[in-house]
Amino acid sequence: MVISPVHYIALPLLAAFLIPLLGKINKELVRIVPGLVLLYLSYVSVTLMTQVLQGSPIVEIIAGWSPPWGINLVFSAFSGFLVSLMTILGFLIWVYTYNFKPEESYSQTTKFYTLFMMLITGTIGIVITGDIFNLFVFMEITAISSYSLTAFYRERDGAEAAFKYVLIGSFASFFVLLAIVILYTQVGTLNMADIARKMPDVDPYIKGVILLFFFIGFGIEAEMFPLNGWAPDVYTQAPGPIAAIFSGMVVKAGVYALIRVIFTLFDVPSVLNLLLIMGLLTMVVAEVIAMRQERIKRMLAYSSIGQMGLVLVAFSIGTKDAIFAAIFLMFNHAVIKGLLFLSSTFMVYHSKGKEISEMNGLGKLMPFTAFVFSLGAMAIVGLPPFSGFWSKLYLLMAAADAQLVAVIAIVLVISVIELAYYFRVVHRIYFKERTSVVPIKTPTINAKFTLAVLALVIVVIGVYPDLISGMIEQAAKDLLDKQNYIHYVLSVR
Amino acid sequence: MNQLLTISFYGTSVALILIGLYAVLAKKNLLKIVIGLSIIDGGLHLLFVSIGYISKGTAPIFSPEVVGTNAVMVDPVPQALVLTAIVIGFAVTAVALSLVIRLYRHHNTVSIDEIKNLKW
Repeated sequence: MVISPVHYIALPLLAAFLIPLLGKINKELVRIVPGLVLLYLSYVSVTLMTQVLQGSPIVEIIAGWSPPWGINLVFSAFSGFLVSLMTILGFLIWVYTYNFKPEESYSQTTKFYTLFMMLITGTIGIVITGDIFNLFVFMEITAISSYSLTAFYRERDGAEAAFKYVLIGSFASFFVLLAIVILYTQVGTLNMADIARKMPDVDPYIKGVILLFFFIGFGIEAEMFPLNGWAPDVYTQAPGPIAAIFSGMVVKAGVYALIRVIFTLFDVPSVLNLLLIMGLLTMVVAEVIAMRQERIKRMLAYSSIGQMGLVLVAFSIGTKDAIFAAIFLMFNHAVIKGLLFLSSTFMVYHSKGKEISEMNGLGKLMPFTAFVFSLGAMAIVGLPPFSGFWSKLYLLMAAADAQLVAVIAIVLVISVIELAYYFRVVHRIYFKERTSVVPIKTPTINAKFTLAVLALVIVVIGVYPDLISGMIEQAAKDLLDKQNYIHYVLSVR
Repeated sequence: MNQLLTISFYGTSVALILIGLYAVLAKKNLLKIVIGLSIIDGGLHLLFVSIGYISKGTAPIFSPEVVGTNAVMVDPVPQALVLTAIVIGFAVTAVALSLVIRLYRHHNTVSIDEIKNLKW
């Protein structure tokens, strides 16, 4: 079988449909097949990524209709980097979920993995597609599977959180679709490279309106303030591993869509100022609220929103160094927040309220989980020698180059706030006596594997950032080089 | 006359979107909110189809009667997109309704005021 980007869409979607049928043959297949698909996709990612880094972007034509008529998939350094991150993270989360709730019934497991594969199809599709309407379709696939996964546990308030998410998500899709409709009337094409080529001829007022609608629509998915009301409840109510996928993949896909639209499709540099303001607002508001949270998942959710604000700020500076920092931040956030969500899930596994106070004294009882959680907390705050330190340092350096003193000040103040609320939790874990009577759940061996790999990545990248900085630098260059994108997509036959 | 027809298409779609918006924002009944979301979708779909409409245009099919004549055809792309969007809208409505059923079983009500375990 020839390796091609089509596999990213075809295989998980096929697996999602086949999982219930495969379960009829052997019940174990339901849990094994997603892992095999994700393992193969990780292999595809590594192979394609080595090709892309040496040469030009890979553009795949679907069904023989060459651009700008047909749908095409673009595996460039930027989209490829995110896709590789998502597939490998997806595989690690699958390893984690394998024995997550052994008492769960067979039909629940089937539903879980079907939706899991759909979610992965959707998020990867958003990043890899070169067609704006196709992007909308993948956004909806992601949204529908996210709604269902949020309401997965019947005994929690998942349905309520999911309904909230449906309401806000419907507005997101409404605005994106409206933007696509108006865009189509102006340029008469849906191919993203072709739109980018024809964009200079569009009336600036209409351009502004379209961009605003895209901004609102994707802003909801990217947890941008004040459109992020869905996030804390969804993170709290969804199953633990799914919260890791939301913060690591779904939100990343939303940020990708927003960034792709702003940087490639449109030529309106002034929108970056709006992005800067929204990013700063998102960051400050979310981090301040995070400080007051009593529940660990809510705290992590608000911290996640804050980090996304930081990413938006980094993108909005717009220089090559800043974009490098932004992509590095996205990578770090996916890995570290994944680790935090996955490890804290086991620490409050049997607890009903998931309160932070119930984590008192767990350092002695669950040494490994407590250790990786503390590691993640230090990394996300940005302490050396962990990977989070480098991305924040690069961001501050990029802001200094652009002479944005206020941004530097705000980021530093926010870092202190982050330090305060993460260390409050770490302090409770190690230095308080255990008061809670809730039984402890030790992580399964495969969950420990996932946690260990993520922790190792944080430490290794922290010591040798050069391992991935070359890749990220190419990704940043690729995002800024719009003419190259247009050229490669439209010259493919 | 044609001008009037075009305006009425756009007017109807905007009216549908506003009606839907009103239902979503003002109604307290979960089912009515879901219906509102559906109406918004419908308005958007109508808007999309009317954009591709050309007055006196025929279906965009190269049939023997059309080939060679200079008949006007409507734009097929919005129609194809709307078909996709309808399917997506259907799926979202189905998920939303199943959530309403779940909420009703859990709380024994469909009033949004009485479902307040989470902060709204």
